[in-house]
Amino acid sequence: MYALNYQRAKSLDEAVKLLGAEPEAKLMAGGQTLIPTLKARLAQPSHLIDLARVAELKGIEVKDGVLIIGAMSKHYEVMTSAVVQKAIPGLANMASLIGDLQVRNMGTMGGSIANNDPAADYPAGVLAHNVTIVTNKREIKADDYFQGMFATALEEGEIIIKLLWPLPKKSAYSKFEHPASGYAMAGTCIAQLADGSVRVGVTGAGSSGAFRWTEAEEALAKSFSLKALEGLKVDPETCLGDLHAPPEYRAHLVGVMAKRALEKML
Amino acid sequence: MSKIEMTVNGKTVAGEAEDRTLLVNFLRDNLGLTGTHVGCDTSQCGCCTIHLNGDAIKSCTMLAIQAEGADIVTIEGMAKGEKLHPVQQAFTECHGLQCGFCTPGMIMTSAAILKQTPNPTEHDIVKGLHGNLCRCTGYVNIVKSVKRAAEIINSGA
Amino acid sequence: MQPSRREDLRLIQGTGHYTADWNQPGQLYGYVLRSPEAHADIVSLNVEPARAFPGVVKVMTFADVEAAGFKSLVGGVAPNVKGVGDSAMKKPFYPVLADKKVQYVGQAVAYVIAETAAIAQDASEAIEIEYSQLPPTVTVEDSLADGAPQLHADIPGNVGFVYERGDAAAVDEQFKRAKYTSKIHLESQRLIVNPMEPRACLAVYHADEDRYTLYSSSQGIVNMRNQVSTVTGIPQAKLEIIADDVGGSFGIRSTPYPEYMVSLLAAKQLGKPIKWVGTRTDSFLSDYHGRALELNGEIAIDENGRFLAFRWDDRVDLGGYAGGNGAFIGTNNLTITCGGVYDVAALYARTRLIYTNTTPISAYRGAGRPDIAFAIERLVDQACHDHGLDPVETRRKNFVKAAQMPYKTPLGTTYDCGDFAAVMDDALAQADWAGFAGRKAASEKAGKLRGIGFATFLEASGGGNTPSDQTAARFDAKGDVTIYCAAGASGQGHETTFISLFAKELGITEDGIGYRASDSNMAVVGNGTGGSRTLLGQGSSFKLLAQKVIEKATPHAAEALGVTADAVSYAGGSFSAGGKSVGLRELAKKLASAAAAHPFDCGAEGTFGVTFPNGCHVAEVEFDPVTGVAEIASYAAVDDLGNVMQPTLVLGQVHGGVVQGAGQVFGEHAVYDRESGQFLTASFMDYTMPRAATVPLAMKWRGHAVPTKTNLLGAKGVGESGCSGSLPALMNAVMNALRPMGIDNMQMPITAAKVWQALQASEGGAAVRKAA
Repeated sequence: MYALNYQRAKSLDEAVKLLGAEPEAKLMAGGQTLIPTLKARLAQPSHLIDLARVAELKGIEVKDGVLIIGAMSKHYEVMTSAVVQKAIPGLANMASLIGDLQVRNMGTMGGSIANNDPAADYPAGVLAHNVTIVTNKREIKADDYFQGMFATALEEGEIIIKLLWPLPKKSAYSKFEHPASGYAMAGTCIAQLADGSVRVGVTGAGSSGAFRWTEAEEALAKSFSLKALEGLKVDPETCLGDLHAPPEYRAHLVGVMAKRALEKML
Repeated sequence: MSKIEMTVNGKTVAGEAEDRTLLVNFLRDNLGLTGTHVGCDTSQCGCCTIHLNGDAIKSCTMLAIQAEGADIVTIEGMAKGEKLHPVQQAFTECHGLQCGFCTPGMIMTSAAILKQTPNPTEHDIVKGLHGNLCRCTGYVNIVKSVKRAAEIINSGA
Repeated sequence: MQPSRREDLRLIQGTGHYTADWNQPGQLYGYVLRSPEAHADIVSLNVEPARAFPGVVKVMTFADVEAAGFKSLVGGVAPNVKGVGDSAMKKPFYPVLADKKVQYVGQAVAYVIAETAAIAQDASEAIEIEYSQLPPTVTVEDSLADGAPQLHADIPGNVGFVYERGDAAAVDEQFKRAKYTSKIHLESQRLIVNPMEPRACLAVYHADEDRYTLYSSSQGIVNMRNQVSTVTGIPQAKLEIIADDVGGSFGIRSTPYPEYMVSLLAAKQLGKPIKWVGTRTDSFLSDYHGRALELNGEIAIDENGRFLAFRWDDRVDLGGYAGGNGAFIGTNNLTITCGGVYDVAALYARTRLIYTNTTPISAYRGAGRPDIAFAIERLVDQACHDHGLDPVETRRKNFVKAAQMPYKTPLGTTYDCGDFAAVMDDALAQADWAGFAGRKAASEKAGKLRGIGFATFLEASGGGNTPSDQTAARFDAKGDVTIYCAAGASGQGHETTFISLFAKELGITEDGIGYRASDSNMAVVGNGTGGSRTLLGQGSSFKLLAQKVIEKATPHAAEALGVTADAVSYAGGSFSAGGKSVGLRELAKKLASAAAAHPFDCGAEGTFGVTFPNGCHVAEVEFDPVTGVAEIASYAAVDDLGNVMQPTLVLGQVHGGVVQGAGQVFGEHAVYDRESGQFLTASFMDYTMPRAATVPLAMKWRGHAVPTKTNLLGAKGVGESGCSGSLPALMNAVMNALRPMGIDNMQMPITAAKVWQALQASEGGAAVRKAA
């Protein structure tokens, strides 16, 4: 890790101020991706602003049919929160599949979404549930937020405060783990929203990050059944390929994971 | 350099370290607690697992200064005097270690698994150990050790 | 509470001493700058900017080690081993720091020494190096191709050695009369050894005595010290090596690495201790890699199903240089048992050792033994399939029979003992071989593909490279005793095993017995840990040592009892004569003095022969055809390890070995990019290690001892048998499941992606695809 200056923000205002003060400053949430990146010397921020003690970024509650999750909520909190388990059990389950026990005790929802790793789990859920991302500047709809691998709509000086998860009728996530890293090689999240519409979010497979599988959405909107998914296939041309899995395999797994997620919902 | 203060194994400790110093290095180099090991640099192996405010975390994936004011328990703080922690006891009873390098991390994680699920199934155990690698034991006796530790804890011994 | 081992109490409480746990006052820190190129000329190298970095004390390059007179790192076959046409092995000079050219990604180029490890790394980035890229070759195939890039100017065609063993003409004869023949091409892919403790060292120079201390993990100091001395010129007597707790070895810690040598040099030049702690990335790039063997086998069988001959043509990827034990593995270990457990008329093996732009190869658990066991058993299974022969009865028919022991193979190797048929029957019964059809039907019903496979194998243990195994006993002023040997443990439990053995042999309790391995000050020589041989070698020597102690003590006991020595008898820890007795411990205590050496101090040594642990492992594997994911559905093994001293520890070794084999079968693979020569799997993010969730936790095992007479304990060794059994058993099970789908050969690792792709392309897969 290159030398850096650590700063602990005690409030959102202070975090914003610190972030604006240095051009090469970077925010740190749980640090579970950022610190390994820094250790590998793949980034060289001058200042690291720790958000761990910013009270405004915490808390989990349901209000007006929306599950509100503070950006600094840890995966372990999401997975074990009675509120989440009742409101969106599929989300609690998704959180339980992230990383490992130790990572879940540090990693946060906001950090994961801000980083937008193409193999992270939450992006699939955010897309499927049509989540609204609330920052210190504005509200961003899920469909506008993800902009390709590690790229998001977040601007300079913008900090995620909380995520608004509209309560679905039901939802589920199924993940095929990368055999070495444990990240998603393909993960599919299906949500049947309150208005009856169906959204399908996919992570791990897309060559430009998480995406919505609209064909599956249309098919499931017509008939919410396993049969509806038969014969549907993600175009391998749009999928990642590497030494672990060719694009065709990832494309295939998206469909398999969709079926397995749907099975949990039927 | 910053002065960093925290509670480790029940004692208040302090040390000077660069901001970029990882917690694991602070524990090992500043405090001499070399029972916490470094087995990788990508947060995969779990050899550096400790308890931070009661939760198992990887001390290689956290800056020392982030832990300012925290309450930390390392492998050296698990036994109470002569009396081993039940997880330590189970690991030796079940031959859950060979070279011992992954063992402190395995024990710290196992204790956390049992805190979260006092009567774990085999599935709970292997899922809980996902972030810990061992090259010697083939995990067979590690899983057995965690089951045995649950028995010891639940029997109140 | 009963601890399993003496070692455990410190290791479970975090008070062990691994190499990185050592520190010395005033120590400086080293950082190795490694080559980012697979194959390149170093056009220019300017370390001045790094030298000028605040906190940097020294930057070393090839010029420094050259000035110090350093020799090449040690490797290659022993000088007396000749190849085809009486040829000698072509060994390039392997510099401690790269000279003018780099041959693989990760080769050490410069060594930066600074006040902190972080500064050393920061400064390394200031080193200016201009590389001129050369086309790389990272496979033996590419290295042998016409017009292949040449690694070493004096080794045209990149072929280091062509070795043969056996009688090619006799094998040809047998193939001519054969009714059936089969052949197979197999790859035992390149692996990363990955003991959990990354390499590290701490080098100290004691100027007042012109002496060095090196803290460094090791499997045995004799070989380490010898090689460090050969390379650096430091006399062995001036070099102390300390390795207390070692976090796994599996073959890669028997020889030293560049960091150790340059740290010793810097420690002397700077007059300060030098500490280097490698990262896991360093491990991936610069620990010797394992396996990297290609095996091509043929079998000849007569009309009655009798095996006539095996013929092998193997290719060994040495990496960029001949380092460690790679060449020994690729010659001796790959051929010594190339007929396996079978009685055949003729054997022939040729191996070619090839240089590639990759990290050099050395030993990994079994060091060629699992590879040849795997190849034989895959070939036999393939032949049974090809010609409709029953795999159980055909093996039985062809085994070397217990009554034939000792049995001399056509290569001249003598198998001392074994009962292969009994071991196989025991294993098949334990695995419920007969009930497989029912389990397969149940799997099919659940949409899964199930296969069963087994392997009957043996391996050579006990060979060593020092002429004898020595042990020593030293009694202290309290009459307590410490026993010594030269084999370094890394999890095997030597301390527990040898103290127990020594105490039992003397009929005394274990209190007051200490154990030290690899103490350079003791001048005890012997083999390092490896080749499954420590118990039978050092263990036998400890048994002799106990007898020596009794011999030494007898005259003193006689004196104490007031009789002549021949009147004294020893039993149960006491000497007695004429109704009086004196305990060994009591006597030791009485004779102890701080001023002089204890009269019971003594040493023992012995040379113990090669023996052949063998076994039969049976595995069942179930595939989900929808995803290609494999699960080890069951695993049952029977091993003839000879006499077992510590059943719990032995079972632990079996578990570990089987799972390392499973790791190779289903996931592990060190991969280089064929075009750029870049190393693609340099972290646990890309290199699939076995995890708790992927191993056969319900493994069944039992021993079936046929004790050997080649050593004093009747033990055959256990360290490597798990791998030797699991590679072929699991792969035979994999092929048994996939063959009906029209897949006739697959190379390891059997990843889900590969299986799915193969099913997509196969005829049999069509039905599965439809059902899915």
